[in-house]
Amino acid sequence: MIEYAARRLAGLLGVWFLAIVITFVAVQFVPGDPIMALLSDRSGDADLEARLRADYGLDRPLPVQFLDYLAHIADGTFGLSFRFANTTVFDVISGGLLISPILAITAILIAVPLGVVLGVFAAQRANSWADTAVILGLVSGISIPNFAMAAFLVYLLSIKWSVLPVAGWGTPQHLVMPVLILVIPPTAYVARLTRTYMLEVLQQDFVRTARAKGLRERLVIYRHALKNTFVPLLTTVGIIFGGLLSGTFVVETIFNIPGLGRLAIESIFARDYPVTMTIVLLFTMFYSIINLIVDLAYTALDPRIRLTNTKA
Amino acid sequence: MRAGTKLLALCASALALTLPAAAVSQAAELRTNINADPAMVDPITYSELIAGDVMANVYEGFVGLDTEGNVIPALAESWEPHEDGLGFRFKLRSGVKFHSGRSFGAKDVKYTFEQLLIPGNRGGLNAEYLDTVVGAQAVKDGKTTDLEGVTVVDELTLDVRFTKADVLFPIYPFYFMDAGIVEEHGADWATKASAGTGPFKFKAWNLGRDVQLEAFADYWGGAPKIDGVRFLIVPSGDTAVSMYEAGELDVVYVDTQTIRRVLKDPQFKDEMLTAPAAQIRYLGMNQNLYEPFKDIRVREAICIGFDRDAMVDGLYDGAAFPLYGQVTPGVAGYNPDLPAIPYDPERAKKLLAEAGYPNGEGLPPIKVTDTEPNKNDITYYANQFSSVLGMPVEVEIVERGSHIKRMNAGEVPFFPWGWSAGYPDALYFLSQVWYGPSTYNRSRWQNDAFDALIEEAQGTADAKARYALYNKAEKILLDDWGTCPTTVRMQVALVKPNVEGVSLTPFRFLPFGDAQVTE
Amino acid sequence: MAAPSTSQTARPGSDFFLRFRRSRNAMIGSVIVAFVVLMALFGPLLTPHDPVKVNVLASWRAPDSTHWMGTDALGRDVFSRIVLGGRVSLIVSMSVLAVTLTIGTVLGMCAAYFGGWVDALVMRTVDIIFAFPELIFAILVAAVLGPGTLTVIIALSMVWWPGIARLTRSLVLGLRHEMFIEAAIVSGTPAHKIMRRHFLPNIVAPLIVRASIGVGFIIMAEATLSFLGIGIQEPEPTWGAMIRDGLSQLRTDPHLALFASLALGITMIGFNLLGDGLRDVLDPKVRN
Repeated sequence: MIEYAARRLAGLLGVWFLAIVITFVAVQFVPGDPIMALLSDRSGDADLEARLRADYGLDRPLPVQFLDYLAHIADGTFGLSFRFANTTVFDVISGGLLISPILAITAILIAVPLGVVLGVFAAQRANSWADTAVILGLVSGISIPNFAMAAFLVYLLSIKWSVLPVAGWGTPQHLVMPVLILVIPPTAYVARLTRTYMLEVLQQDFVRTARAKGLRERLVIYRHALKNTFVPLLTTVGIIFGGLLSGTFVVETIFNIPGLGRLAIESIFARDYPVTMTIVLLFTMFYSIINLIVDLAYTALDPRIRLTNTKA
Repeated sequence: MRAGTKLLALCASALALTLPAAAVSQAAELRTNINADPAMVDPITYSELIAGDVMANVYEGFVGLDTEGNVIPALAESWEPHEDGLGFRFKLRSGVKFHSGRSFGAKDVKYTFEQLLIPGNRGGLNAEYLDTVVGAQAVKDGKTTDLEGVTVVDELTLDVRFTKADVLFPIYPFYFMDAGIVEEHGADWATKASAGTGPFKFKAWNLGRDVQLEAFADYWGGAPKIDGVRFLIVPSGDTAVSMYEAGELDVVYVDTQTIRRVLKDPQFKDEMLTAPAAQIRYLGMNQNLYEPFKDIRVREAICIGFDRDAMVDGLYDGAAFPLYGQVTPGVAGYNPDLPAIPYDPERAKKLLAEAGYPNGEGLPPIKVTDTEPNKNDITYYANQFSSVLGMPVEVEIVERGSHIKRMNAGEVPFFPWGWSAGYPDALYFLSQVWYGPSTYNRSRWQNDAFDALIEEAQGTADAKARYALYNKAEKILLDDWGTCPTTVRMQVALVKPNVEGVSLTPFRFLPFGDAQVTE
Repeated sequence: MAAPSTSQTARPGSDFFLRFRRSRNAMIGSVIVAFVVLMALFGPLLTPHDPVKVNVLASWRAPDSTHWMGTDALGRDVFSRIVLGGRVSLIVSMSVLAVTLTIGTVLGMCAAYFGGWVDALVMRTVDIIFAFPELIFAILVAAVLGPGTLTVIIALSMVWWPGIARLTRSLVLGLRHEMFIEAAIVSGTPAHKIMRRHFLPNIVAPLIVRASIGVGFIIMAEATLSFLGIGIQEPEPTWGAMIRDGLSQLRTDPHLALFASLALGITMIGFNLLGDGLRDVLDPKVRN
């Protein structure tokens, strides 16, 4: 087990390195030049341009620039931001470092239990109108574009009723609407998945036996069936996290939250490559660590699955 | 249904109550918006509009503006031109304190000028105003750090000498800084300390969130009546207005995309400030890149081939005026008597036919280029010129940085663009955008008589005589259809009824030193 | 009762339609999808106005009998733009599906069949792309290629093919040791024939399910890229960009964001329900 974890971790380091290479190569091809963005109206001033290129090390060959970037990752500064004068990337991102993870984790803590409850509810009433209604409700939830839903919520909750702030960050109230928006897709995903697995499990022999023995329905479902849906659900947590991290890009933009998602979008438009590269790297690391933990948990639980969940 | 919504509202408010109280807005702090982080907060590298919005409250120059946008003395009490016209002697204001407590004097002005020019400092926009100062080039080249042409006569007297006449030098918007700040706080003082003389001190910059200023009690113009100013960073103009509506902002500078919402909503009617922007807008036609532009009849056809009034009403919801010259109202030297440029599709077609392009036949294809935020404008132009003149025009949306580089290099044939005045004098527009040798002459229109008039104006101290020269030069430009003036945008701001003393001029907000927030 | 999970041939026979028709969600979904597809195919022929015709004197019209959904900032007919926007959305999503299904199944089958370094190469590439959160990778690709329709197709294809490849590989690995496959290999049937004749027919059903669920994701991702300003550009109308432009006028001209959101929402509901229904019907593990 420990050996497996170590092997996976080593593999991750390789993937991260490749992610660094890919983002570094990618930003070289982004149309637009960071120095031009910096010079703005003054571009054409050749002296100033040359000086800026030298200051940011952009006058050297690409491989050297790459090694430079690696060195800056190692020393923790991640290099100099192009957009902000005399500011390291670390200083640019440090204020918002935890915001996207906080949003994503809060959302997942709400979405998973909620989704399971809804999924079980629907599965118990499979193909009834209640089932259809739940599924239809969830599908509508993920079908309405989140940016439109956010605008509606702001109008209702902030302007009309003044119970929540329009935008920003800093108090628990600021968390409510963004999390509400983020929670919908993973809830729907978990609920549909739970429903499917529940239907599958409910047909299996041991559940029928349990039922036949006269155990109460709810007990059957929660004690046996749900236990068996837990492992497959666990494997999807990684996917859900990826979706949530992507979701923070949109939510942070809409609610003006100073997290890495909004910063990444701004940096792309401002051609602030060091910041863009660093954020992509951090999101990638965060995402793959979550996936690693999920996989390890899954592997740890694996023997038990084989014992109970015999193949039909 | 109504009971349901009420219940939901109740639940939500109950939830809100159980959470720790939000940062209660301090009564006397003024909250306003900026649409991005400033790129810097120091007066040396200062080079963009948002940084300017913040720094105008912290730093000051020789002069300031009054509520009408007129120039008034600030850190200079008076100035006298040298006998030969090649320089000024400034008498500086006495009793002015920096935020550090040190006194402001002539040495600080000289220090600021030198810092702007020293190559390693990456001096920003204000460095350009020093081009004519004697010895500027030597400092720029790194040969010396002493600016020869600027002499500290005594504590409050400063002498500046030029290589050629520069009558507007006193009104250039410098930001003078405290010469002792680097010694006290080190080279990276900019985000730790405040080095100006303005009504507010720099307090904190929380990246992506806000920039905070606090009142400077020893301000020479009297201590501000508010505790401070908080510039919240709100990229979306729509969000900013919603925050204003919900009471999270006291003052909002409304961006062009959101003006419609503000104008159409009666609740904002009594809370609105407006002022024309000191920004010329024009449709650039580069004659070197598109052969037909060389024919004056084609240029005229284009200039009368679009409907300025329809643009004002349709595209800008009335928050604009048609522009018939290349100086905007509110800027000294503006000529209010210029004849209107009509929308005359019939004449435009006739002119094109005379030029050898009946119904646009024979015109090579061309792109009209702009950045994403102005996509509606170029979509209108392209549609208009193809449907009215039969000109094969296509829309091209490009990235801003490279677009500016190409424009500065004279490589864009057909583009609408604008130019915002850095100081309130027509020379800013005329000498930067249409003067032959200027980098910002982006459509490369060139006329010797025009250039001679501009050079004469730069040495004409008498304001009336100088304005006459501007008007003459502007007429040459317009008679040649060297450009199509398009529109002037109206700036719109919202100010809560409990806020007083906020002024919007053609140059955006005045510093908030006179603002008052009451409960 | 439960069918063996490795049924040798997933014949979508007559009982497919029977089960499909019994699934309420699938029926609702397919009706919506049929409507959307028909509108995208024939709608632009029927719309009363030119969707790119500018008329600033007729801008910001509220819905009326001439302009059923009003006009936008440039006086363009919103209804015509929504219909055309639907076509753009479908073209993008169908292109992405075509590209990803082709690349994904071919690479997935090769990885599973040949194993060794082929497998390693394909799966490591998949792992690397999977290491990036989907939309973030798409944003990166879109930023590199610059905005445009082709960009969106390429960006979304790049994030979506690894999923197909991984699914295909695991399905084929499940088949690899079936008797009839072993027999074919032993008898010297060439690899491409085995793939086409034996693998493909047996993995088609789960791939269809995956694809039908994916359409929703792709359409939403395209709208999100447009919303963030790095998607398809003017003058081509897209729902995402229409919603973005409309949101700032929500208070004065709600029709702009409203109709585009409705169009996007209804299409998404259609594809999601259809995907769910197809999964219930085609996935042999869930029959009840």
